[in-house]
Amino acid sequence: MEFEPKILGIACNWCTYTGADLAGTTRIQYPHNIRVARVMCSSRINPSFIFRAFELGADGVLVGGCHPGDCHYSTGNYYARRKLAVTKKILEFAGLEPERFRVEWISASEGIRYADIVKEFTEEIRALGPQTRLAVKRGVGA
Amino acid sequence: MKQIDARLREEAKRLLEAGEVEVVLAYGKGYDDRHPMPYAAKTPADTERIVFNEYCTHNMARYLMDYSPGTRIAIAVKGCDSRAVVVLIQEEKIRREDLVILGIPAAGMKDPRTDRVIDASTTSATPNPVLYDILLGGEATTSETSSYDVLGELEGMNGEERWAFWSEEMSRCIRCYACRKACPMCYCDPCFVDQAEPRWADKSPSLESNLMFHLTRFYHLAGRCIDCGECSRACPMEIPLYLFHKKVAKECEEMFGQAAGMSVEDKPVMVDFRVEDADEILL
Amino acid sequence: MLKKIGLEKRETLASALMEKGELFAPAADGAVVNFRRIDNPGDVTLDFYNTLQSPKSVFFPQTDDMVRYRLTHEGVETEEVPLDFEPRIILGVRPCDVRSFEVMDRLFAGGGIVDPYWEKRRKSATVIGYAFDEVNPADFYTTFGIDAADPTGSDIFMVKGKAAFLLKGITEKGDKLLDSLQGLEDASAQDEKYFEGRLTEASKLTTRILATEGVVEKLEEVFEDPYWTTAAAPCLNCGVCTFVCPTCHCFDVQDETLFGRGARRRIWDSCMFTDFTLHTSGHNPRTNRSQRLRQRINHKFSYYVTNFDVFSCVGCGRCVRSCPVHIDIVAVVEGAMALP
Repeated sequence: MEFEPKILGIACNWCTYTGADLAGTTRIQYPHNIRVARVMCSSRINPSFIFRAFELGADGVLVGGCHPGDCHYSTGNYYARRKLAVTKKILEFAGLEPERFRVEWISASEGIRYADIVKEFTEEIRALGPQTRLAVKRGVGA
Repeated sequence: MKQIDARLREEAKRLLEAGEVEVVLAYGKGYDDRHPMPYAAKTPADTERIVFNEYCTHNMARYLMDYSPGTRIAIAVKGCDSRAVVVLIQEEKIRREDLVILGIPAAGMKDPRTDRVIDASTTSATPNPVLYDILLGGEATTSETSSYDVLGELEGMNGEERWAFWSEEMSRCIRCYACRKACPMCYCDPCFVDQAEPRWADKSPSLESNLMFHLTRFYHLAGRCIDCGECSRACPMEIPLYLFHKKVAKECEEMFGQAAGMSVEDKPVMVDFRVEDADEILL
Repeated sequence: MLKKIGLEKRETLASALMEKGELFAPAADGAVVNFRRIDNPGDVTLDFYNTLQSPKSVFFPQTDDMVRYRLTHEGVETEEVPLDFEPRIILGVRPCDVRSFEVMDRLFAGGGIVDPYWEKRRKSATVIGYAFDEVNPADFYTTFGIDAADPTGSDIFMVKGKAAFLLKGITEKGDKLLDSLQGLEDASAQDEKYFEGRLTEASKLTTRILATEGVVEKLEEVFEDPYWTTAAAPCLNCGVCTFVCPTCHCFDVQDETLFGRGARRRIWDSCMFTDFTLHTSGHNPRTNRSQRLRQRINHKFSYYVTNFDVFSCVGCGRCVRSCPVHIDIVAVVEGAMALP
């Protein structure tokens, strides 16, 4: 059976999530591996979400927010940029493959781009294989 | 050292006698010379117990949060300790005007566990206090090596090797929380790890729970950790936490152009942003 | 009976013991030495003063699953964790730590409700005590009548000679095990003399002594004294002391579940933690450090004595050595005793 990556997507309501919606309404095909959680703004993202996602076995995490300068709340994504950058450095230093965590700025009109990114990311993760480093070892009585 | 020892007692006594402060946070005699203890002198007579020697490694900023706002406190700080005081002022946890900062240029501090000199590989490269009211000794020479040089080995490894290193170290953690308690910046009550809703980490010391605790803590200290190394000296299992904290501090300095706790006017990097921050930092 | 094995044959000794049961012995743990289950005989080290943490984890592990469960649509399926233990052997236990087992026995298996998790592990274990050759300034076990080479409580007692380890059977259980081990030589009459000599000599190796006369009454008297605030001022409330202590035994019971599978387990807790006494109502009877430090001292030197006739402390010195702010428990108790 081919490995099907489990990817967590965290999308900001005003831009990325709407862009994902657009991909859907335009009937653009993209892999089903991504499970999307909606947040109002990328700055709502607590880096612990990312650590926890990998701990729970996510093979990849894709965060999407508004383009810097276009945040619905003016400055949210500027803070998010810093937070997520530090999160990425922490994961990399801990030894997690850096490709597993990706941040993209995707606007509400970029439906096609959203689909393309998800396609690309899914294949990248598929090639990397299951995430076994931070993931809790299942089946050992928890 | 002996000079600083005498001057510290002198200043502490003078400040308490004059009623300028209510308490002096310094170091006191322990069960032997190699094990001094954090000490809070409240009366001029108490100051007889104050000592300063090369084993006075504790970061006294840790105890500032014990006092209610408005309490006048004198605090003895070495280089990185003073940066911790700066961070607490930046975060509005203490007020500059409530403090009389007794700066100690620290050179030749030693780890009581190993008797080895503490250098920039396990602490910050700032032996001279960055903020003080009274300087108790002559300026110490700054180390030639950067406090990030020690990261060379780990940075040179690939992900798999680094993972092998950290998973080994983190499996040894017994979740005693000495690291958290030794850190002046860990003042949250309750701490995220003690919360049951949401339950970020289990209480039992499995590797995954330990990682959840530590990775989150490394993040919570981003731009705030001043590299004193006390967390690692407190750790009974001798886990080199300082390596990870140094890495995060290095990245923050490189990405955002500011080191933690250098100036009271600075805004901590994680609650600040610049429109010009480069997207490249996300790669 | 007395047997011996060359100092360089430590691995042979470990292998021989591993044939007879699960072996728990001191081994390198990164930069420190701690007791753990041995899978590779070469890991055992007998070259240490004392381990960082006590051997209590052999009988009272940091996490101890009691019930495992699965959450299904029909409800919860549980599976009790079996309490049959393979015979186990603990090698290299210093006399103060051997005494700590007895101190804990009174609580866990002394009468009334017996803790089967402790008791069954205890019954299945053979303890090989290990004499001290020197004294560390932090220790104070002489206070409790424990000798540096005290064989009391051990099943087999081991002394490190100049060229060989000498092992003597103390109890019937110990004799039986010793007799069955491969690779050991019989000791000579000279060895016997040397062994007895070492035991006698060791009684001259004394640690500092904490005067405990009247401590129970005194601690009660000074309960409200502001002394505790000064004593607890440097304390970080970190919990290291409780985690390295051989007689600290407070625990929490948690249900830890993930993806519908979990276990109800017992986990070490610490009276030093801020939320140790936090009630579900939100009330916390011990909110500050002086209350918590006072509690720890009282528990060890007063309440435990009243309940079990013995101090909940064996003077191993670990808390003194490991405390990040170098608090000396002897000084704290002496300070309380000295109060007017």
